[in-house]
Amino acid sequence: MADMAGSYWRCARCDEALTARKTVFTYLGHSFTHETLRCPKCGRVLIPPELARGKMAEVEEQLEDK
Amino acid sequence: MSMKLEDALAFTAGCFNGEPASCSYACPFHLDIRAFLEKAGKGKWTSAYKALESAVAFPLTVSLLCDAPCERYCQRLQLGDEPIAMTMIETAVIRYTGSKRARRYVIPPKEGRVAVVGAGAAGLSCALWLARKRISVTVFEREPGYGGTLRRHPRFTEIAEDIRLQFEAADAGFCFDREIKALGELEDYDAVYIATGAGGEHFGLLDGWDGDAFASGVDGVFLGGELTGVSAIGGMARGGEAARNIEAFLQVGRVAPLHGGYDKNGCERYVSHDGAARARRVAPSSPEGYTEDEARREAGRCLQCDCDRCMTSCEMLRAFRKRPHKIATEVYTDQNANPPYSSHTLTREAYSCNMCGYCKSVCPEGVDIGALLRLSRAERMNAGTEPAALHDFWLREMDFNSGEAALCAPPVGARTCEYVFFPGCQLGASNPEHVRGAYGMLRSGGADAGIYLGCCGAPAWWAGDDRRFMANMAAIRGNWEDLGKPVFVFACATCAGIFEAFAPDIAGVSLYEMLNDREIAGSAGAITRAAVFDPCSARARDGMRDAVRGLLGRSGVQTVELRETGRCCGYGGQMRVANPKLFDEIVTSRASMSDEPYIVYCANCREVFVSSGKRCAHALDVALGLEPQERVPSIGDKRKNTLALKGEFMASNLRVKPERAERAWDGLTLVIDGGLREDMDRRLISEDDIREAIFHAEESGDVFVDGEGTRMCSMVKPVLTYWARYRRVSRDAYEVLDAYYHRMRFESGTRDF
Repeated sequence: MADMAGSYWRCARCDEALTARKTVFTYLGHSFTHETLRCPKCGRVLIPPELARGKMAEVEEQLEDK
Repeated sequence: MSMKLEDALAFTAGCFNGEPASCSYACPFHLDIRAFLEKAGKGKWTSAYKALESAVAFPLTVSLLCDAPCERYCQRLQLGDEPIAMTMIETAVIRYTGSKRARRYVIPPKEGRVAVVGAGAAGLSCALWLARKRISVTVFEREPGYGGTLRRHPRFTEIAEDIRLQFEAADAGFCFDREIKALGELEDYDAVYIATGAGGEHFGLLDGWDGDAFASGVDGVFLGGELTGVSAIGGMARGGEAARNIEAFLQVGRVAPLHGGYDKNGCERYVSHDGAARARRVAPSSPEGYTEDEARREAGRCLQCDCDRCMTSCEMLRAFRKRPHKIATEVYTDQNANPPYSSHTLTREAYSCNMCGYCKSVCPEGVDIGALLRLSRAERMNAGTEPAALHDFWLREMDFNSGEAALCAPPVGARTCEYVFFPGCQLGASNPEHVRGAYGMLRSGGADAGIYLGCCGAPAWWAGDDRRFMANMAAIRGNWEDLGKPVFVFACATCAGIFEAFAPDIAGVSLYEMLNDREIAGSAGAITRAAVFDPCSARARDGMRDAVRGLLGRSGVQTVELRETGRCCGYGGQMRVANPKLFDEIVTSRASMSDEPYIVYCANCREVFVSSGKRCAHALDVALGLEPQERVPSIGDKRKNTLALKGEFMASNLRVKPERAERAWDGLTLVIDGGLREDMDRRLISEDDIREAIFHAEESGDVFVDGEGTRMCSMVKPVLTYWARYRRVSRDAYEVLDAYYHRMRFESGTRDF
């Protein structure tokens, strides 16, 4: 989805453009970091659908089997 | 208290997969005849020869001497066939093996010296086994060469060559022309094995001989072979066992009987070969024996007796290819895995099971792998290590059905009743007409029947959430008592099974039996000929199965029987999230069991088949004269149906106006196109969750915007995090462009930037 890739997503609350930043993820006792779009001010994270359905789903499945 | 390994193994105690076949029990050498014949059947002569050599020590000698007791136990006899011609196959294997050079293993020499008295069959065998283990061994023989009674065999030249070949790769000393007259001559040795043949010298030790450990009354002196009354082949066969006992004595300095490695004396359980094709024994075309092709064909007649019924019958077990005992072991280890240092090796399999009991129904010993895997789920749930996302949807649905949507009401104006109709959570959700119509039929037939909308607890049971399950059952019991302990009328065989198992004192009857007893005749509608697809939970419910057929027949439906019944449609165990690919495979396989449309009597079967495109009606469509629905309602519509039914019954039975606590987001209108709605249903995302997410986001302002009017928001629920991409259409109306979730959690906020 082309419209998801750009950095023109803004945090409506802070009125800031999102930027790629490190985010800590946790699942079933495992934790790791990955860069995602975040609001530079409040830190809120945006997970685009292709990430949720793709890489994240893949890692979730691996961790369930771990 | 967590599970012990024995708790898990108890589930598969009856399983005899992997046990030796009856022929191997009969074989004095306990040769793995199945494996040997499998290799021979493929023409793998060398590999078959190695298998023979490692079991019998002297392959050619044994093939000449053995009278093949295995043949008397060959399961070909079950079919009326001649047994596998084992001796002729052995001969062929020896003949067609290129190099028969024995293997020499590089292992360090062991301490202790052993003297073997007598170089006959038993002595040679024991000496070879000891030498193979690098134990220093010297054989004393009063004759000028080895063989003992074997020297009188007409083919002794070949036997001698066989013996020479084996000792080529194992260091043993031979002292021929040396008769031992007193044990004192062997004082330098740590152990002595006396195998002097029938009537041979036993130094007065035969009386106190212990046949299990081969031990005599004198420490370190062992006796075996024809001296002790066995045949030459018997003495040879037990040579390995004698060597193991001697080795143990050398290690620990005392005698401890070690058995041959089998924990049973004979085969106790046989695989039935009903339906297996008969095959005549291959006759050799020459007096020399089999040609290569003949030997292959004869070995190929082996039935490879080993029970794998469950593993070949169930798609799930087939997909994971684990044997029952291994599954039991892994149920234990999986539960004791500590992330991130160890692996859950069973998780996917445990959560992929339909728990339909089919494995148990095909197992000759009734081993229930589903029950074992449910134990795994329950143990994980107890320990808090369950992959919650795999059952979250159904547990939330169960909470809804047992909570907000539940209703237990006697007939209007009454406080108690004789019967209570328990349609199960999905019947009304899927098609409220079925519940309305069936209840109406019960009432109009004069039954003093109340209505109980709720959930039997199957989702909690399948998820391994025993606490939630028991709480649900306790609530049901309370309501049942309040209603004056009526008989439950079940429309769902799963509910009936749950009640039977966990509330056996609550009497139950199936709706179909009640309708059939009243000789209700419905109308066939568009489906006049159909295959009856019995739900797996009705496998042992003949009354229910017959009643449905009676009802259909009376209503003018010509019914066809499937070649196999009681298979799970795919829904059971709620494994769809854990293994969507396997779920699809099972559904496709079930849907194609017949080209005829199906008539089912489980709302879940109906939903699964209709969603897969299979033409399918519910038996209640026929009983009530309804046209079968061609679509399954969305998740949101199912909840609406359930609540609407509750409202209707509150009004009709309790005479109270349904009051529903309005939630703040109920007023929000969502526009969702057909493709996305299908995707959401497939991924089990309810419209209501998305509505709630958008509502909170818009209220709080926690929204992402892209400058072109597209908005994004998320909502964190206890197990899943939901996301919506959407557009505002008007005040309180939004068009949803995408909806998805993930299972991981992330740390929001400014920490960890």
